[in-house]
Amino acid sequence: MAPDDLRDLIARSAATIAAHEEELTSLDRAIGDGDHGANMKRGFSAVAEQADALAGLPLGEALQKAGMTLIMKVGGASGPLYGSLLMAMGKALPDGGPADLAGVAAMLAAGVEAVKARGKSDAGAKTMLDVLVPLARALQSADAGTAAAAAIATARRTADEALAATRDMKATKGRASFLGERSIGHLDPGARSSALLVHAACDFLEDRS
Amino acid sequence: MTDCVAIVIVSHSLDVARGAADMVREMVGNEVPVAFCGGNPAGGLGTDVAAIQAAIESVYRPKGVALLVDLGGAETNSEVAIELLPEAMRGHVTICNAPIVEGAVMAATEAAGGASLETVRATAEEFLS
Amino acid sequence: MTEGAGGAAAATPIAEGSATLGDPTGLHARPAVKLTKQAKGFEAEVQVRAGEAGTWVNAKSPNAVMKLKAGHGERLFFRADGADAEAAVAALVALVERDFAG
Repeated sequence: MAPDDLRDLIARSAATIAAHEEELTSLDRAIGDGDHGANMKRGFSAVAEQADALAGLPLGEALQKAGMTLIMKVGGASGPLYGSLLMAMGKALPDGGPADLAGVAAMLAAGVEAVKARGKSDAGAKTMLDVLVPLARALQSADAGTAAAAAIATARRTADEALAATRDMKATKGRASFLGERSIGHLDPGARSSALLVHAACDFLEDRS
Repeated sequence: MTDCVAIVIVSHSLDVARGAADMVREMVGNEVPVAFCGGNPAGGLGTDVAAIQAAIESVYRPKGVALLVDLGGAETNSEVAIELLPEAMRGHVTICNAPIVEGAVMAATEAAGGASLETVRATAEEFLS
Repeated sequence: MTEGAGGAAAATPIAEGSATLGDPTGLHARPAVKLTKQAKGFEAEVQVRAGEAGTWVNAKSPNAVMKLKAGHGERLFFRADGADAEAAVAALVALVERDFAG
């Protein structure tokens, strides 16, 4: 990926998180401890500050470094979770970047496995995995010949539907699980931030192609 | 002097962490090394991987280090902090699945007698059962 | 040392003692920790119970000692088995008698 492209992707990710800080915070206040917006903003701002240094690295290394920054700067569980996602995606990335849709899907799947391991969780527990797992599955099952535009549309739709589905789920992981039944009726803040990042990546890919 | 397992207290709140460490020192004594940390990298409520790592390293000994953590992110961030330790240390550091204050006092009491890391952890975790 | 090892001999504690809890709040957290620490200083197996009908528990286990929830005026019984059993019981009785001071 060209340095300018990577800079653009980082800026878009940080911007969407910053723009939705309030929303993430209020979702988290409903079922968590209300720090998701501020934590994510702090983490992604820190990554954005490193954009120039990251842009000079091969994509795999840049992802790993950004992941470590999230781990060190976020201050909540989302730091290690998103950090593990990026680090595992970076490690799984073949030299020269993903060749095709299957490559992207494999990279994302590796990241999702790392989130599962880090969070000792899986889809269905009302977490960010409820967006990431369906997304990875949708991309992996897409035909090899799927056009970029169609793949991007699938990714957006899958993320949106998966996010909406977290509303009726009961949290069994993280602090929201203390609420049990009362966690039902609220979108999961981690699923929301994941969907925001999926959209940022899709917007980036769309404008680039 | 007997070598004791060290205790590290990780809370979202620096005040809670400091208070728990005070209770350990007051109730158990000073022979058990205790370190604590709390707060996110910006100084608000939360936990900070680098601070957890520094706390562990400040009391590290091969005999072992037992961590007592509070909610959610404190545990996840502590797991990451342990993974980021030099490999030789990693196997001698463990997180106790116990309430932070009571667990810290129980763990330190056990540690004061020179017990192994496994025993210290078991004693902390036994508290609720 | 003993004949018929494992029989009655093993079940017989070689030192016993008791003392009454003077602290108005009973055996609360801090004294329980002190008692445990003191007991751990001895090689002998040391057990404690609250009152004559109480269940014997390991005096070196902070959890077990705290769960005794022994109240003010209750009598703590100690028994120990091991080379330094007598010293252990004497030390624990003295600790309770001086109201866990020091």
